Amino acid sequence: MTGPFSTATIIVGLLVAVWALVYLVMNKRVDRYLQVATLGLAAMFVILAVGGIVQMMGTDKDLARAEFVGYLLLSPLIPVGGWWWAKNDETRWGAGVLLVVGLVMPVLVVRIQQVWAGV
Amino acid sequence: MSEHVKARTNQGFGRVLVVVYAIFAVGATARSVIQITQRLDEAPVAYVLSAFAAVVYIVATIALARGNRTSRKVAYVAIGIEMAGVIVIGALSLLVPDAFPRATVWSTFGSGYLCIPLILPPLALWWLRRTE
Repeated sequence: MTGPFSTATIIVGLLVAVWALVYLVMNKRVDRYLQVATLGLAAMFVILAVGGIVQMMGTDKDLARAEFVGYLLLSPLIPVGGWWWAKNDETRWGAGVLLVVGLVMPVLVVRIQQVWAGV
Repeated sequence: MSEHVKARTNQGFGRVLVVVYAIFAVGATARSVIQITQRLDEAPVAYVLSAFAAVVYIVATIALARGNRTSRKVAYVAIGIEMAGVIVIGALSLLVPDAFPRATVWSTFGSGYLCIPLILPPLALWWLRRTE
């Protein structure tokens, strides 16, 4: 849960946030490229969820398992829901939605890592 | 769609507001389900309050996202309750910490969530006024 893949999810989340911020400032609608990036971020969280749950089942380490699984299963919903909510918007604020998504996802990864560590 | 008013709560900046509310709704609900099913006896007051906060966030999210005349009224009520909740629980958690052995989303004015729970309701009320 603390390997390079988790780090990559944090980086991609922040990239989506910066990208969306640029569109927001430039008064640009969310385009196909930013949509693909957001869905890519969602896909990474699906992989993180599968990997995390497999890792959890293979260990008897002491951690809050219900919380851990809850975070992992629900987190992909945020970029998927955000993508759908942003793509139906005709103003710059679609990018505002993806800015929020891009900032929240890295925080979630850190929180998931804390639960994994037993904090 | 005669029920729709001119300015919609779910357009423009409202779009961002809805997504923030939605994240709080999902997070608070998930947390609350785990707390109540797994360890309600630890801190029943705090955990029931968490569940109540979750319901408030769900109602506010749906009301803001729908953006018609009825939902605007619902949004005012839900966000008013949210505002009162974060102020009262925030103050109580500092004055009588013993009553809250476990944190709720509104404890210490939502400081565990960058004080976003305290910022959200005035922002949402401002937005409701602006789109009236």
